[in-house]
Amino acid sequence: MQRVATKTDEAAPQVETRPTVAKVDPLQKSQLVEFGKYVAECLPKYVQKVQLTAGNELEILIPSEGVIPILQFLKDHHNAQFASLADIAGMDVPSRPNRFEIIYNLLSLRYNARIRVKTYTDELTPVDSACDVFKAANWYEREIWDMYGVFFANHPDLRRILTDYGFEGHPFRKDFPLSGYVEVRYDDEQKRVVVEPLELAQEFRRFELSAPWEQFPNFRGNPAAEEVTDATDVKKDQ
Amino acid sequence: MAAKQAIQVGTKNVRPVLSIDRGEAKARVLNLYKAWYRQIPYVVKEYDMPKSEDQCRAKLKELFLKNKDVTDVRVIDMLVIKGQMELKETVNMWKQKGHIMAYFKPTEEPKPKDFLSKFFSSNE
Repeated sequence: MQRVATKTDEAAPQVETRPTVAKVDPLQKSQLVEFGKYVAECLPKYVQKVQLTAGNELEILIPSEGVIPILQFLKDHHNAQFASLADIAGMDVPSRPNRFEIIYNLLSLRYNARIRVKTYTDELTPVDSACDVFKAANWYEREIWDMYGVFFANHPDLRRILTDYGFEGHPFRKDFPLSGYVEVRYDDEQKRVVVEPLELAQEFRRFELSAPWEQFPNFRGNPAAEEVTDATDVKKDQ
Repeated sequence: MAAKQAIQVGTKNVRPVLSIDRGEAKARVLNLYKAWYRQIPYVVKEYDMPKSEDQCRAKLKELFLKNKDVTDVRVIDMLVIKGQMELKETVNMWKQKGHIMAYFKPTEEPKPKDFLSKFFSSNE
């Protein structure tokens, strides 16, 4: 019988013998947990939750007002020094009240550590631009503006970066159709490229979007996150 | 630039995009309209468009009036921001003739409205 590893199993002390599975270093993990608690203590106003995913990836969950203070803290604090912004990602979950998640991946070259800061917003709530803290945020935020339509307040140069001029809509939103709204072709009478609304024959409109195989069987069911701290718990303790 | 205090939208207190109230949003819309209006002669000339200035002004008015029923201040602000970006792309000549002419949609055939023309178009 094949054994499926769950997060609860990994939490218990257990020696990983499978060569293809990343080994969790207990020392590194305890340091991450300590650091997560430390961040939550330093900035209790903004840190809503600190969690550990995939064994050794520290995540800090904050509301969108806290982007600048948290990133500034992580960049400049002597025990953090996350001076490098590796990436900013976006995520769209239409069922949530705040449907967009903005994910900042930071790297500390000094301590050889990575951290992930997650925040949330909706279509109309602006998020503060991280450009003042990290110069690298400029293009990443333009990408997110272009793909998801999240507005970044005080961005020095917010405009499209990936889509064509005149393109309407934000392609990475889940309600954006796979085939788009318009098609583009060369028109011989106009002697130029024209944009026309897409018309698909009925037989091309049916899309089978679910894959026939399961991508992550190990992550079926239970969420793969261990909580380090939760703002609600802290309030109860005090 | 972006205001810090919350504004009331419906029953919720939310963070504004740019404008605090309807009046400010309206002023932004009018400013954007004027900016486009003043650029139209240059746009027609520099993009070598097969349209007159009057036709362009009519199209501008049509595109603005398409959103005349929007009441949410934040939605108006978002539309203004997008319009501002479009204007910048147009004036800086980042766009090409095809992008500008896409507003006029010369190759699109209007959808059939009445019963008989719908019937004919479905019988092709």
